[in-house]
Amino acid sequence: MTTDLLQMVEGRRVVVVAGAGGVGKTTVSAALALGLAAKGARVAVVTIDPARRLATALGIDALGDTPHRVDRARVVAAGMAMHGTMDALQLDPRATFDRLVAREAPTEEARDRILCNRIYRHLSSTVAGAQEFMAVERLYELSESGDYDVVVLDTPPARNALDFLDAPERMTRFVEGRGLRLLLGPRGGAGRIGWRAVQAGGAMVMSVLERLTGAELIGDISEFLQSFDGMYQGFADRASSVKDLLASDSATFVVVTGPRPEPSAEARTLWQRLETDRYPLGALVVNRVHEMPAGGDASPDNLAALLRDVGAADPDGLAMRASNALAVARARASADRHEVDALVTSLGAPHLITVPALDSDPVEVAGIANITRALGTP
Amino acid sequence: MTGPPLLDRRLLFVIGKGGVGKTTVAGAMALGLADSGLRTLLVEVASEQRSEALFGVAPPAGIVPAEARPNLDVLSIDTDTATEEYLARQLPMRPLVELMVRSRAFHQVAQAAPGLSELVTVGKLWDFATAVRDGAPVWDRIVVDAPATGHGIALLDVAGKIRELASSGPIREQAGKIEQVIHHPAATGVAVVAIPEELAVSEAIEAVEALRARDLPVAAAVINAVRASQVTSADEAPLRAVVTGSAGEAERAAAQAAIDTLIAARHDADETEALARGTGLPVVSLPEVGDLRPGSGGLERLAAALMADARMRARP
Repeated sequence: MTTDLLQMVEGRRVVVVAGAGGVGKTTVSAALALGLAAKGARVAVVTIDPARRLATALGIDALGDTPHRVDRARVVAAGMAMHGTMDALQLDPRATFDRLVAREAPTEEARDRILCNRIYRHLSSTVAGAQEFMAVERLYELSESGDYDVVVLDTPPARNALDFLDAPERMTRFVEGRGLRLLLGPRGGAGRIGWRAVQAGGAMVMSVLERLTGAELIGDISEFLQSFDGMYQGFADRASSVKDLLASDSATFVVVTGPRPEPSAEARTLWQRLETDRYPLGALVVNRVHEMPAGGDASPDNLAALLRDVGAADPDGLAMRASNALAVARARASADRHEVDALVTSLGAPHLITVPALDSDPVEVAGIANITRALGTP
Repeated sequence: MTGPPLLDRRLLFVIGKGGVGKTTVAGAMALGLADSGLRTLLVEVASEQRSEALFGVAPPAGIVPAEARPNLDVLSIDTDTATEEYLARQLPMRPLVELMVRSRAFHQVAQAAPGLSELVTVGKLWDFATAVRDGAPVWDRIVVDAPATGHGIALLDVAGKIRELASSGPIREQAGKIEQVIHHPAATGVAVVAIPEELAVSEAIEAVEALRARDLPVAAAVINAVRASQVTSADEAPLRAVVTGSAGEAERAAAQAAIDTLIAARHDADETEALARGTGLPVVSLPEVGDLRPGSGGLERLAAALMADARMRARP
């Protein structure tokens, strides 16, 4: 029943950590990377959130687009071996996309035209899935660099955790701009745009849009699409390589959730989608599970007697309050167990790892190492 | 720039990191306001009709709210529909609107235009806030369950959108009007939600700084799922003596459970204090509630805690 996640993902080149927001995905990603590095792999972990505290915990001033090496001594001081290396970086969507454009652009002039385009500059905040697209692109880039044995990706915090699976295709479709391209002729002399009336009403659509938003915007979009003309195929190829990598045996998906109904529902949907689309499913991690206290219910009378012996001011009242606290803790542990069981049953007994709820937030290497040990044997 | 307490403002935005219970806080706020007799509209933006779990009524996806409870309407705003409606109002002829909406090119332009979807969404919220029927406002309060922090701030940054999007034309003129309302602390208030965890608190503090830098009327912070303890620090020594003594397993577990609640409560109080210090805002602390389903009374408890806080609204 208990799975050693570190053992399970050993030998994979890519580990995608997915799940709803707020379940501790970033911490689990870091803990997993730490464990793999401890065992001897050259690991990179890509975080999405601006996780400043995680950076501090790892001894890195500020996570950025370039990988930062985690200091071996710091890990060893936290009581963990470090036979490999661990690099951490934070996704910078713009930097990633800029590199992709630079690589795919046919000429320097074409590259500069895109990099300066207003539509391009706002792409990561406007086009749905752009950030997710760049996250998987960065993953691919690192994985292909040959610098790492394994790359762990902490997926973007989306309300819909499935977004990143569709992102490469969505982005490619956007750049392709079918429909719009047909309507956009080359820009005319004095900044006017000449519409091609190849589609009934198409010219009218464009002129109405132009009236509403001003000619500049439409001009920029037109320029954006034209600049991508020679690059579309490169984009499409790249998107399909990324998809192939994620679907291959070199990759594995780890779904993280908490023992509560909302994230569990999202984890269930995500898991089933991964299964349907034949992505390589790794394990399900349920984070922050409350453990059942030892023994049964306490007897308030016995407890009151014990408290009286050690000089408590109000032994009967305190015994009652402590018994209540135990009852609450037991009920919570039981609810958590019920949630985990329901999830496991509905997913057809996946490989399951439960991480106990810790007393404090894991903001030091030692705290992250505790989670690593819950994931497997480093 | 100061204004009245948060809940006395008409247009209320609830923002925060994913997983902190933003939908729950927005739902509790809307419920509290509705139960106090104010006609309230709860609007989800870019979400998946999550308030259904709180009220048992699915908020319709679109631009037409539905009644969930007396005085309380709900809606999950749909940007595409809102954009269509916006266009329809600009265009003289219905067939032209249909032509636009059916055109793939139109949707691509709408998708590529920086800030258009946010602007249309905020414009729709402004419509709700200013809607009048028989000479009286249709809603006294609009509570917006905004998208997660970064996108939530982007939604409110109308001024930035205007600069990026439209140099001229009707969009610019309307956005200018909306901007005035969004930035006016008498009309609009932003509440930032966190949970008592270091990461969530530091992100909330950064969000407040980002809101202030954009001159947006942030009015309160809410810390959700704060754990309480029934024991006090004076009880700790005898409880520890029982834990380390030779008592039965269950009795030791009970003493330990009581100590754990004390540690948790201290931790959460420290985080609450850090949030108050870091933001300089009134911080409302909401208790951890296990069951929020309709009929459980959980949401009502949270609503009561919000409404009872004297810093959240002037006495009725």
